[in-house]
Amino acid sequence: MASNQVESIDLVDGQTVRQLSAAVMFAALTAVLAQFSIDLPGGVPFSFQPFAVFFAGLVLGPVWGGFSLTLYFLVGLAGAPVFSNAGAGVGYVLGPTGGFLIGFVVAAALIGFVAHRSLSPGPIEELSPISAAVALLAGLAVIYLAGVPWLASVNGLPLTRAASIMAPFVVGDLIKIGLTVGIVAGGNELLADWR
Amino acid sequence: MLTYTPGSTIVHRLDPRTKLAFQFAFALVAFGTLTLPRLVGLFVIGLGCLHLADLSIRAVLRAYWFVLVVLALGPLIAAITLGPPWLRLDPAVVSLRSVARIVPILFVSAAYIHATPIRETRAAIQRTLPGRVGQLLGVGVALTFRYVPVIRADLRRVRDAIRARNGDTRSLRERSQRLTVLMVVRALRRSDQLAVALQARCFAWNPTLPRLRFSRIDLPVWGLSIGFVAFAAIDLLGF
Repeated sequence: MASNQVESIDLVDGQTVRQLSAAVMFAALTAVLAQFSIDLPGGVPFSFQPFAVFFAGLVLGPVWGGFSLTLYFLVGLAGAPVFSNAGAGVGYVLGPTGGFLIGFVVAAALIGFVAHRSLSPGPIEELSPISAAVALLAGLAVIYLAGVPWLASVNGLPLTRAASIMAPFVVGDLIKIGLTVGIVAGGNELLADWR
Repeated sequence: MLTYTPGSTIVHRLDPRTKLAFQFAFALVAFGTLTLPRLVGLFVIGLGCLHLADLSIRAVLRAYWFVLVVLALGPLIAAITLGPPWLRLDPAVVSLRSVARIVPILFVSAAYIHATPIRETRAAIQRTLPGRVGQLLGVGVALTFRYVPVIRADLRRVRDAIRARNGDTRSLRERSQRLTVLMVVRALRRSDQLAVALQARCFAWNPTLPRLRFSRIDLPVWGLSIGFVAFAAIDLLGF
């Protein structure tokens, strides 16, 4: 006998669908850029992954920016090879660079909050270069504050030794912040359409 | 690259929630006080998981080579001093003990990845995390997994287009800014398309979830996981 039970459909509202879709795309973008770098003179790789974290916070704001990086983290945890060097799984997260992954999640939320000074993001073209720079520097600080002690703990190193190992990478990340601020300050009419 | 491989091993047949619980409980024990017998025990269990999942150690080592290199550098860096005697053994041993615990966790994690499809993990997330956050995370994980190849193809196209216009000869600033803006714009365009597609398909808060069911083989693994957590708690409290 056919069941007469009917459950009404509780549709997700349009704004949530839109933000979820954007969060998914930034999570996928973070995954793709984690595997992508260009070689600088001397063969030093210039990774693009931080750009995805920065823009997730700047474009999506604290809530959905943080959500987006949480998706990236969970997809990797679930086994998709989305972390650097096609890494995945709980073992990777608990490994030496796991702190940086957790730092990414917090950093995206913090960047969004500092840049927009609100839980809901405003248009990216209205961001001042100074507030963008401050937000990105705060995000970078969080990434290293989470990543370096974790690296020290997992590798059994003194904190100062771990910090000195990571110090050269800070230079590259500061350059990336400068480039991101340049994009924000440059008008970025391509990005202005979306909100 | 380590990815899900269909199979019928006991690890494949376990409920994903059981496997996740086991992984976290195992990691708890690994991060407790580490003695040599306990480390040996962790390796035996880790290797046992690989065996039960029918996964070779070589495949795991190949998949996690980068993590292993970073781990191997730990004791080396710890041993080096910036003055005489230049090399000290004690800090290296402390570091070695610290990094050694990660390897069996990698084994257990690899067995999970090898034996669990993403859609099952998604269902586990959606069923375990309460409310709308859990639903959004579950759907988000599934969609992200689906869109990684799409965004990767976008990146390839953008890179080829830049290269075709002699963009490789431009400065680092120009190259990186152009590529980043184009990728962000493409991602946002795709997100608009995805939003329309989801709404067209009546994306709802109360969808029909994939079916997950505990079976008899999950019981001993849950028992082991609870044992691990109890062991870690006793260790933490110093009994």
